[in-house]
Amino acid sequence: MVNNKRFSLRNISLFGIINTLILTCLAIITVYPVVYITAVSLSATSEVVQGNITLFPKGFNVDAYAQVLNDDRVPRAYLNTIFYTALGTAINLLLTAVAAYPLARQNFFGRKFFLLAIIMTMFLNPGIIPNYLIVSELGLLDSVWALVLPNAIWTFELLILKSFYENMSESLREAAVVDGASEYRILFQIVLPLSKPALASIGLFYFMGHWNSFFIPLIYLNDANMYPLQVVLRDMLIFSENGSNPSLVDASALAPQAMKNATIVLSMIPVLLIYPFAQKYFAKGVMLGSEKG
Amino acid sequence: MSSAGTETNLAKPRGGFGRRMVSAFQHMKRDRQLLILFIPCLLFYVIFRYGPLYGLIIAFKDYSVFTGIMESEWVGLKHFEKFFSSPDFWLLFKNTLLLGVYNLIFGFPFPIILAILLNEVRVKWFKKSVQTLSYLPSFLSVVIISSMIIDFLSPNQGIINQLIAALGFEKTYFLIEPSWFRTIYVSSDIWATVGYEAIIYMAAIAGISPSLYEAAKVDGAKRRHMIFKITIPAILPTIIIMFVLKTGSMLRIGYEKVLLLYNPMTYEVADVFSTYVYRKGLLESNYSYGAAVGLFEAVVAMILLLSSNYFSKRLGGSGLW
Repeated sequence: MVNNKRFSLRNISLFGIINTLILTCLAIITVYPVVYITAVSLSATSEVVQGNITLFPKGFNVDAYAQVLNDDRVPRAYLNTIFYTALGTAINLLLTAVAAYPLARQNFFGRKFFLLAIIMTMFLNPGIIPNYLIVSELGLLDSVWALVLPNAIWTFELLILKSFYENMSESLREAAVVDGASEYRILFQIVLPLSKPALASIGLFYFMGHWNSFFIPLIYLNDANMYPLQVVLRDMLIFSENGSNPSLVDASALAPQAMKNATIVLSMIPVLLIYPFAQKYFAKGVMLGSEKG
Repeated sequence: MSSAGTETNLAKPRGGFGRRMVSAFQHMKRDRQLLILFIPCLLFYVIFRYGPLYGLIIAFKDYSVFTGIMESEWVGLKHFEKFFSSPDFWLLFKNTLLLGVYNLIFGFPFPIILAILLNEVRVKWFKKSVQTLSYLPSFLSVVIISSMIIDFLSPNQGIINQLIAALGFEKTYFLIEPSWFRTIYVSSDIWATVGYEAIIYMAAIAGISPSLYEAAKVDGAKRRHMIFKITIPAILPTIIIMFVLKTGSMLRIGYEKVLLLYNPMTYEVADVFSTYVYRKGLLESNYSYGAAVGLFEAVVAMILLLSSNYFSKRLGGSGLW
């Protein structure tokens, strides 16, 4: 008995305790800001302005949400974001899935040249102005296409999917060729269904890219009615920054901080909902990227 | 129905231009379905990746919206001369380089430490929970992260200033104090990326043979011995490759965050090439000048990226491709 006890005590090392403490702190630091902004969004204005919120909402109410949802700016921006994300991700996935297929075929016409030309674009980034000019010369400004087309394929994700296809067994494709199937059928009926995990990974990155996109809509959209959530949030952020002096805030009005944080929470809901499922694909996507060679 | 995909043996091009053309044509004919599938991709890269390179010629012209890219007047290196002789140049160069270097030096060790610490956790659910939570910031937008920074550092309601006040010190206006900008930028970047970047090191650690640890345990090695004598040496190649690659992309500053966090008070430390291009080029419609600044930045970044890629390959890594 005594021996056993001593053994288990020795197993709990000082290192183990410190390590657990450090990692617990890290987890808290990671999650705390999200908890904090949620608490602010649910708190009474007076408490927010005085800076009394630390962890839990004080003077619990949902006025900030009511106000944000009744004003038509945020709901419209929300619908815009959903639309841009759905359309953008669909186009990204379709184009990437189709483009990676010929590139994965070792004897595809001009494969080496095309691959080199594609990889070179990872090194050549001409910058904001030339990209803007192309979009503007094509007449895409102030349209959804400005958000969707200029980044329709991410080179990195294309190369990831290409190497995924390359590692797929050849025998299925050969059998289909013997049966006289066209390349289109092979791609859509054999290769794509087998690529679901890879498509889920790169789809997640595309989805997050569109949902969180801020700079591209900021420069390509002038019409405030077309703004996605992130651009509206940015306007609120500037406003709350300037209005953070309590003397400027009307006591009866809602704190701009509360409204901003209510909008942030609303914008995070879909992300937090998919998060438990997505994080698996997320790690996988990062690994696919680093193993690709 | 189709011959595509069947492995027609193509005649090897044996000298002669005509014969090579014929062979190429046959090859194209054989691959016509694949080529059709490739058209959207080709169009995308030609228009949206190589098209802007053509747009870069306005850096050598006086572009105006009315005359268009082609018709605008050539002015040679005028915009470059203006940029290189302006005091902005050295300021931007310094700011971009310092943000990049600080971010690299201070940010680099954290994911490695996190991966090693996680690897030492014996309780599975705890390890999994911490790791899962550590990715969370990667799912948040730069606007949300910037908003959190502003809230936390706010002189009135911000939690950090309240803490400072509670400890009896003077409140600090972090976001209008130039000396704080780089610290804020780098530390928030570490917060946002540490979990995501630890993934690669976790995978490298997972590849270490357990027998090494078992043998060490038999020999009575302590945990710190195992960390310093087994874990770190085993993942050292990964660490080196990651460092080289990160050095290569060092100048790719997260300018969106800078844009959201800086203000005229902090321009002197926060303004980087991209934010300058956005302000002077796009907002003030000096497209040609902006393109010239952007081109300079692109060339510097490309040289850095290509050389780091070269070194990474020399060191046995995979490089960017």
